[in-house]
Amino acid sequence: MDVVPASQASRAAPSQQAAVSARHLRLTLPSTAGPVNILRGVDLEVAAGETVGIVGPSGSGKTSLLMLLAGLERASGGSVVVAGHDLAGKDEDALARIRRDHIGIVFQAFHLIPTMTALENVAIGMELAGVADAMARAEAGLRAVGLGHRLTHLPGQLSGGEQQRVALARALAPRPAVILADEPTGNLDQATGAMVIDLLFALTREAGATLLLVTHDPALAARCGRVVHLADGQVAA
Amino acid sequence: MLALSLARRELRTGVRGFRIVLACLALGVAAIAAVGSLRESLTQGLAAEGRRLLGGDLEIDTGGLAVPADLRAWLQARGARLSDLTQMRALLVAPSGERQLVELKAVDGAWPLVGTAGFTPTMDVGAALADGGVVAEPVVLDRLRLRPGDTIRLGTASLTLRAALTAEPDNVASPLLAPRAVIGLDSLARAGLDVPGAILRHAVRVELPAGASAVATMAALDAAFPGHGWRVRGPDAAAPGLNRVIAQTGQFMTLVGLTALLVGGIGVANGVRAWLAARARTLATLRCLGASTRLLLAMCLAQVMALAALGTAIGLAVGAALPWAMVRLFGDLLPVPPRMGVFAGPLLLAGGFGLLTAACFALPPLGRAARIPGAALFRDATIPADAQAGWGVLAATMVLALGLVGLTVLATPDRWLALWFCLGAIGALAVFRAGGWGLVRLARIWPRPARPWARLGLGNLHRPGAPAPLMLVSVGLGLSTLAGVAMIQGNLREQIVTQMPARAPSFFFIDIQGAQLPDFLALLARTQGVSEVKHVPNLRARIVAVNGVPAELVAATPETQWALRGDRGLTYAGAAPEGTRLTAGAWWAADYRGPPLVSFDGQLAEGWGVKLGDIIRVNVLGRDIDLKVANLRLVSWRSLGINFTMIASPGLLEQAPHTHIATVRADSASQGAVLRAVGDALPNVTGIRVEDALRAVAEVLDQLAVALTATGGITLIAGILVLAGAVAAGQARRVREAVLLKTLGASRAQIRAAWLTEFGALGLMAGVLAALVGTAAAWGVVRFVMHAEFTFLPGRLVLTLLAALALMLLSGYLGTAAALRAKAAPLLRNE
Repeated sequence: MDVVPASQASRAAPSQQAAVSARHLRLTLPSTAGPVNILRGVDLEVAAGETVGIVGPSGSGKTSLLMLLAGLERASGGSVVVAGHDLAGKDEDALARIRRDHIGIVFQAFHLIPTMTALENVAIGMELAGVADAMARAEAGLRAVGLGHRLTHLPGQLSGGEQQRVALARALAPRPAVILADEPTGNLDQATGAMVIDLLFALTREAGATLLLVTHDPALAARCGRVVHLADGQVAA
Repeated sequence: MLALSLARRELRTGVRGFRIVLACLALGVAAIAAVGSLRESLTQGLAAEGRRLLGGDLEIDTGGLAVPADLRAWLQARGARLSDLTQMRALLVAPSGERQLVELKAVDGAWPLVGTAGFTPTMDVGAALADGGVVAEPVVLDRLRLRPGDTIRLGTASLTLRAALTAEPDNVASPLLAPRAVIGLDSLARAGLDVPGAILRHAVRVELPAGASAVATMAALDAAFPGHGWRVRGPDAAAPGLNRVIAQTGQFMTLVGLTALLVGGIGVANGVRAWLAARARTLATLRCLGASTRLLLAMCLAQVMALAALGTAIGLAVGAALPWAMVRLFGDLLPVPPRMGVFAGPLLLAGGFGLLTAACFALPPLGRAARIPGAALFRDATIPADAQAGWGVLAATMVLALGLVGLTVLATPDRWLALWFCLGAIGALAVFRAGGWGLVRLARIWPRPARPWARLGLGNLHRPGAPAPLMLVSVGLGLSTLAGVAMIQGNLREQIVTQMPARAPSFFFIDIQGAQLPDFLALLARTQGVSEVKHVPNLRARIVAVNGVPAELVAATPETQWALRGDRGLTYAGAAPEGTRLTAGAWWAADYRGPPLVSFDGQLAEGWGVKLGDIIRVNVLGRDIDLKVANLRLVSWRSLGINFTMIASPGLLEQAPHTHIATVRADSASQGAVLRAVGDALPNVTGIRVEDALRAVAEVLDQLAVALTATGGITLIAGILVLAGAVAAGQARRVREAVLLKTLGASRAQIRAAWLTEFGALGLMAGVLAALVGTAAAWGVVRFVMHAEFTFLPGRLVLTLLAALALMLLSGYLGTAAALRAKAAPLLRNE
């Protein structure tokens, strides 16, 4: 386990250990027209328990930054430390373990497994981690998001808002230290979106987790403790 | 017209989603077309070579009787050129004392009337056979370690080996029990083998003058010699046995090929379903624009059938070309030189099977897709899972299925076999479908495993849309075919190599003269290692008529026709032989001396419709004798003991010149000594080692099994194609699932283990079901087609099980490996 010394990981909130730390983060992807620089040296420190909104125009690199922080994309340069774990040089399985133990992710497109029930979707990550009471915790998670009556429903049998609430329960039930949410209301109507966001903030606060929220919505970002603006692959403010 | 126009526009996008469908159809059609074309080329080859194979325009086989002088004169008066020959089994004895059983052919100077015999070293027939010359197939020279110039003994004659026989124009490459040796007729006389009652065949070959018709000559011969009892054959019947072998082998291979096409049909259904799923948006859009169900169905059907025609055409091209490749690679194994060509009949049949199969399997999914509601465009743009094809489509599918059954029955000489095949195929499909359903249910109620990957794997088997049932059906028929073929082959081998030798005697000794019998028995009594000797009188008889109906007109079942052809063994006995099991009637008194009675084979009697009191007229050494059926017996041919279809009462037949036949049991170490002792003391007596004969039969069976296994392999390849299609159809879902599981923290090992659990369970189920279905099919064929005892051979089934497991695990592993390589980010970015 690569644990970064606290002295290196704290910048934005020196009084606490940083939950997320990105330094000089770069991402360049190949394309038919030549390499495209998605991120050009992003520095970001997020303290444990902090909520950060990441905003910026389309193509500014918001989702890519989230992917790098989740270990789902490999950086072309720079470093990422999440919950004390340096993601650099880790193989796929090690990254999966870090996500399993420390990170919860909520996607705009929900990304539930269509052939599993709501309960199974929430439990699967904990089951893979060998959590003994995975099903019970999954059920509690679903009840917490108001879906106690939808446990055995398949994603196709749920509305968009319900699906996103299942995704929320899936992300939060394992009690991760860090929640990464990528446009979680992008596919929902305003009222449903507001309900999901309320739940997201409430549950994150309750768990004491760190939240990084990618959004286009300035009002939504304003609900976060801090807002980071990305533009052209760099932190603008 | 509008449907065709729409179909044409749709087809511009190419055949991308249809490649597996094309491959499945092409493979099945190619298998049937290739088998049919090869069968036709062999049949035509046989017909074209009929004159050469017969050795003339006519052959008149007079059995154990010498060719009558008046027949010879009658033929010569018509300007015919004649060639006499006598055929029998005999032992050649090398200077070293080693013996080799041969199919002996004694010929005159006119042989061969058609074609040229080839020898090494090169010489003409006269030089090879004159003055006690003998030629034999190279294998005889190898086994007896002989070289041209060596002296060998045949009966009481010393002959000189002149050359190896490398080309025998009138020899069909049939599964002879022994290699060929050719001598002159004068040498046969010197050898002392042509004794009254000896098991041999005399015949005269006839070359007619130019312009004379074989058929007309046969008719004239029948008129000139009414009730002659000879077997007269023209070039069209040069090798009736071989014709039967070609027809029966071709029939089995066609049915196995048809199984491959049925598996392909499943691939068609799967492929069409996947293709329609990808076009659901287009169909829903057309529906919104006012297209009727009928129009959508016609448009899709036109596209599918156009592509099916392409797949069938590819299959026909490959199937027509394959025989050329097969002849090039395995030409030496073929019984006659085939006459190569493109044969319309087999190709039309294979094409008909291809198009019917495609239409039959494609219609149900097409019927469902055509009922897509326009509203689907505004929801998930998928064909509703509960959509059902209309009654019209279901009725059309039923008609097509019946057409497929009808064509199968029409194309198969044995109609019952074809019907049973169709029922078996439907039954096998039902078994695998039920097996898939059972596996899903089992996975659902199975107690939750402790390991998360096992839970995930088990869950994959029963989740909605799980491909388990589809995959089972995909490989099920192919594996069952291979299991069935392996079981049938194993059963035949078991009978011939293991069971028969255990029951059978060590030797048959034939042509023992009455005067020699005491010496023969005394000699064996003195020889160490001999444990049992049985002997009976033996006459050669030809069945002339049954209840006054000439033998050739008797309405016999196909499996009992053999006994009406050629000479049969006939014996006589006062008391019932030991172990006789009568099924009707009673045995005659031991001292019975009245009109001749006969104890007849009960199975033949059933096949010929013979009852107690009926009259069977036989010809023994030129004299017709009426035998009244006194009783019916159960004859077990597989015991390889001395069995006779007919046992006559003593009296009249005792007076006829005849020989004796004996069976001898001896331990393995003494068998060489027994053969030598009898051969040296009684040179005209021929000993046939049963083990050698069975080995020769087993070798022929092995060759047939290779052909059937190869065709069965095509079924499995078709199954693998369908399986690949099913895996490919679900691959996008698997990739997505793998990415999500990795995102949720699953390690690659966990994902791999989960999928291997899923595919392992599938493989196990497929293997068990294929073993069951294959065993059932093999039991049916062994018991009812081959009329043999069925032996369960678990070893063969374990192989099937392992093959199924390996196949499923491999496809699971390949699919998993591809899914694990997929990058997460592109899939997870907002859609």
